[in-house]
Amino acid sequence: MTDVNQTVPGRRLRRLERLPARRLALGILSALILAVVAVGTFRTLNLPAGQGYAAATWRDFVVLGIARGSVYALIALGYTLVYGILKMINFAHGEVFMAGAFGSFFFAQAYEQSGFLDRNVFVALLILFAVAIAVSTIVAVLLERIAYRPLRNAPRLVPLITAIGASLFLQNTARGFFGPQTRGYPSPKVLTGKWYPFGIPIARTQLLMIIVAAVVMLALQLFISRTKTGKAMRAVSQDPEIASLMGIDTDRIIVTTFAVGGALAGVAAVLFAMTFGQVGPFMGFTPGIKAFTAAVLGGIGSVSGAALGGLILGVLESVGPPLFLTGFHVPSPLQLQDVIAFSILVLVLIFRPGGILGTGEAEKV
Amino acid sequence: MSLLEVRGLTKRFGGLAALDGLDLEVREGEIVSVIGPNGAGKTTLFNTITGLYEPDEGDVVFDGRSIVGLRPNQITRLGIARTFQTVHLFPNMSVLENAMVGQHSRSRSGVFATVFRLPGQRREEERIRERARDALGFFGTRLSGYRHDQPAFTLSYANRRRLEIARALATEPKLLLLDEPTAGMNPRETLEVTEQIGRLRDERGLTILVIEHDMRVVKGVSDRVVACDYGRKIAEGTYEEVANDPQVIEAYLGKKAVG
Amino acid sequence: MSGSAIVRRALRAGLVGAVIVVYLALVGMIERFQVRNLIGTQVTLARLLIAAPAFLAGLVAARPRIASGRVEQPTLPQAWPLGALTGAVAGAATGVLMLIWDAIGIDSVRNVFPNASPTLMSILTFGHPVVLAGLILTAGGAAVGAAGSVFRLLQFRIRRPLTTGVVTMLILALLQRIVPTALFELGLASGWLYSPITGGLTWPGALLVVVAATAAAWFWAERRRASRAGPEGTPQGRRMTRYVALLAIAGVLAVLPQLIGSVFSNILGDVGIYLLMGLGLNIVVGYAGMLHLGNVAFFAAGAYLTAVLMSAVPVTALGQGHPALSWHLSFYAALPLVIVLAAVLGVLIAGPVLRLRGDYLAIVTLGFGQIVSVLLQSDWLKPVLGGAQGLTGIAPAPIAGVSFRNPQTFYYLMVVLCVAAIYVSWRLAESRIGRAWNAMREDEQVAEAMGINTVRYKLLAFALGGAIGSLSGALFAVRIGSLTPTSFELLVSITALAVVILGGMGSIPGVVVGALALIGLPGLLSEFEDYRLLIYGAALVAIMILRPQGLIPNVRTARELKEEEILQDAWSRIYAGREPAPAAVGEAGKERG
Repeated sequence: MTDVNQTVPGRRLRRLERLPARRLALGILSALILAVVAVGTFRTLNLPAGQGYAAATWRDFVVLGIARGSVYALIALGYTLVYGILKMINFAHGEVFMAGAFGSFFFAQAYEQSGFLDRNVFVALLILFAVAIAVSTIVAVLLERIAYRPLRNAPRLVPLITAIGASLFLQNTARGFFGPQTRGYPSPKVLTGKWYPFGIPIARTQLLMIIVAAVVMLALQLFISRTKTGKAMRAVSQDPEIASLMGIDTDRIIVTTFAVGGALAGVAAVLFAMTFGQVGPFMGFTPGIKAFTAAVLGGIGSVSGAALGGLILGVLESVGPPLFLTGFHVPSPLQLQDVIAFSILVLVLIFRPGGILGTGEAEKV
Repeated sequence: MSLLEVRGLTKRFGGLAALDGLDLEVREGEIVSVIGPNGAGKTTLFNTITGLYEPDEGDVVFDGRSIVGLRPNQITRLGIARTFQTVHLFPNMSVLENAMVGQHSRSRSGVFATVFRLPGQRREEERIRERARDALGFFGTRLSGYRHDQPAFTLSYANRRRLEIARALATEPKLLLLDEPTAGMNPRETLEVTEQIGRLRDERGLTILVIEHDMRVVKGVSDRVVACDYGRKIAEGTYEEVANDPQVIEAYLGKKAVG
Repeated sequence: MSGSAIVRRALRAGLVGAVIVVYLALVGMIERFQVRNLIGTQVTLARLLIAAPAFLAGLVAARPRIASGRVEQPTLPQAWPLGALTGAVAGAATGVLMLIWDAIGIDSVRNVFPNASPTLMSILTFGHPVVLAGLILTAGGAAVGAAGSVFRLLQFRIRRPLTTGVVTMLILALLQRIVPTALFELGLASGWLYSPITGGLTWPGALLVVVAATAAAWFWAERRRASRAGPEGTPQGRRMTRYVALLAIAGVLAVLPQLIGSVFSNILGDVGIYLLMGLGLNIVVGYAGMLHLGNVAFFAAGAYLTAVLMSAVPVTALGQGHPALSWHLSFYAALPLVIVLAAVLGVLIAGPVLRLRGDYLAIVTLGFGQIVSVLLQSDWLKPVLGGAQGLTGIAPAPIAGVSFRNPQTFYYLMVVLCVAAIYVSWRLAESRIGRAWNAMREDEQVAEAMGINTVRYKLLAFALGGAIGSLSGALFAVRIGSLTPTSFELLVSITALAVVILGGMGSIPGVVVGALALIGLPGLLSEFEDYRLLIYGAALVAIMILRPQGLIPNVRTARELKEEEILQDAWSRIYAGREPAPAAVGEAGKERG
């Protein structure tokens, strides 16, 4: 009988020979991507003055990215909270966002026509936020009650398919109710133009976006870590059975989670609509997926992960195409913005499904 | 001739060593029982042998070659089959289909042969069916006839355990790992299983490694008994030797109080 | 009987019914569907939609309830007032809402909901002033609701054939655009059944169909029940039925284009393309159990690869550009290459992500699909793929001089390919490969332990699904001869998924029915076309909640999804008379040992 110590190195060599094709392929893939990104960046930054971008343009890209990222972060929080509790992806969350936008739109429109929007900006904005939050929350809670609750114990694919169906349904309900066209969302005149904090020109709406998002996320963090409900939410997301044994009403906590996610989406809706100026029945789809990407990127189930992921995604999406692709003389790189976002999604899920702040273990157990 | 050799097998989960330098040997044609208190690492041993887990240290040598790092389906192909502590059938497939799945690694037809119904594929289907019936037939009338087409979830508990064994049989193994085959059975069924394990060795030429808690089964079936605790072997020998080993008694019953 | 709980349920059902009617009104369906006459001019699709919620609420109100461990069912004298109450609530709530609208002023409502037009109001009020209309709705609702409750109380043996009869009549009414044409081509008169003036069924015709279909269904069920073998019939009988059905279907398929004309053959072409996609997706979703939302990638790969290999040219602002490849392959030469490439694409896409859990896998495939969609439209790939303008100049694919550009001939090409795909799916399902997929779906770890290389079979499923999906793309390309990227968006993936899921995952007849229902029906009735996605979304949610195994389920999948309920419901179904009690089956039913 051979000695254990003798076989161990032998065994290690054999394992090296059997290196799985998968790891090899993934290694090649990651090397390729890094190469493309590095070479592209290098070339872009070394382009002659006429072909490249000015420093001011880069700065604008970055600021836009941060602004977008804050909205993604707010929406991503909705995904991550629901996932943490129910381990399901609320595919229809983008439509919760859209609902809030539409809800506040009609008020905004009325206020603009009557001039109220500009006379009492602060009060008007408050009302708009309140309406958006209310509508989004109601939609989110209805979703949970009607579409998701009956399927709590179903195999995991079933709620996902339901969520897809709900998403389609909500989009087209909005289309049916209000018409397919996109409409302009009014913003108060006081918010047009730029401010210059620290001498950096930032569009006022974008700055508002960043500030409000940051404040809200901070409030959420406090809520989750300090309040009783927040603690209950964390408990249920870790172990629903034990949580209910501890006297926590899991059903109510689940509804609360959906409601909170909805409220956040409502805030994001007003910010988004005011900054990008448009509402439409299908406005929730792409931001929804991107927000989901952000949540996954940061680590789904983690609140700070959602914030981080949103920020990174926003900036990457905004800065990426001009940075990586102009060097290769790709025409109209901004068209490929969505490709960057979806590629990030795919790559994160391939290489590190647990996200940046996650455990790295979202694979099948 | 040693069919299975486990050398210094170590598997840790976080800070806990489920297996801690376990050594084990099973010779061809033997029936070896593995006993030990709960948490001794027995099922982890099975999981590591069959490739569900990868050991942190140590080696598993089957039929002369090391199988560490191989995937479970490759290990099955080499000739190790197992049953599970809690029954894991394919509940919505019929009894016969469950057994036919066992034959998967012994058949080869691919997409092309299947789609074009090549004669080779048809013959192979027949052969798979035959061998599955044969495996089911080991249990006589209990899993035969009209039962073949019933979905597996309709079976009684004891029949489910039998089906699991039949399915493992259908993979045409050399070594069969049985994880607590009599758990939850009444005395009559337990006796029947004891007898069947012997028949598996005698009629089908299998080498068997059994995890068991019921000492009557261990006594009735084993050529050798291996006792484990805390992930390592603490005693080995015939049933009488192991049953009287002081370390084994201590593991099960605890130390006598001083004084 | 705990009266208050039942009454509360009835009230809730009624309110939900009202909400549904208002929803349908605001979303525009009522007004849009008013044009469709179903029977005479009295029963329009819109009026059916207005009445349906009250009827369904009545059904719900009279449902058996489980309380304190007993099954309670309202008796007849209790049921119809309950139903009347439910329906009345539904009608009254709707009436109240219209009163409110009237008070606010229809124009203000219209500011937010453009569909709240005077036309809508007149439909809802049946042309009467609002207050009167409210009373009519309440009374009518009560009647319809009572009818629903009474219907629910009918014995199953009567209810089932009656439902079949009415549904048959409705289907015929909805098919009002093709059946008369078909009858005409067969030289049969259709005036007795379809009125050329209203477009829908005539009253005598409709009643005749209901009676005939009900009677037929009743006789069939009774005959099966009487025979010793029980409701399913003998194995030989079942096989005979299957052969006869297949023959009949083959016969109909062969002559269909002649019967229904060019326009409807075109619709069938659409159905066929989605059927092919659905069959491919069925292998991935239904057999291997992996949710796949990126089907559009394979569809696009098939279409664009075919086009490029056949040397199609990009459309530019100045006319036409140069083809990326000048091989000028014929369609049939390009096809094998396309299929192989698509299979490889499937492996490449699936390979890195196989380890992911089901919902993550779905999102990743979604991401891939979106990447493909965006790339198709990009300027970057414009020289090869034509960018936003697409490709054109795809040569037709004639066989023996018959060009398939014509919808009626394309139909045959499509049928041949669909049959081939069905055959392949069927053979795979009944083989060792199908068993491996089943095992993997039920318990992946144990399947591995039984010797199944799960990675290989998952990749195989993706490769096959991709290959068949690309086939449908190739067909699409050669059908019209040009491609634009707007045809290749996420919607395609979702529609294909809806087809598979609605029809029944893992069930080939299910996919066929799904394609016919989800693609054929909107094609036939343009008012459905407007609401297609809405209906898809609602249907997906409803199916997942009510009947996840789909309309025509694969037996095994049905068991998986409904296992507990099947076991639990066994007794209640016996009580309801749907199944014979086990005693009739004899000793064989008992579990021994």
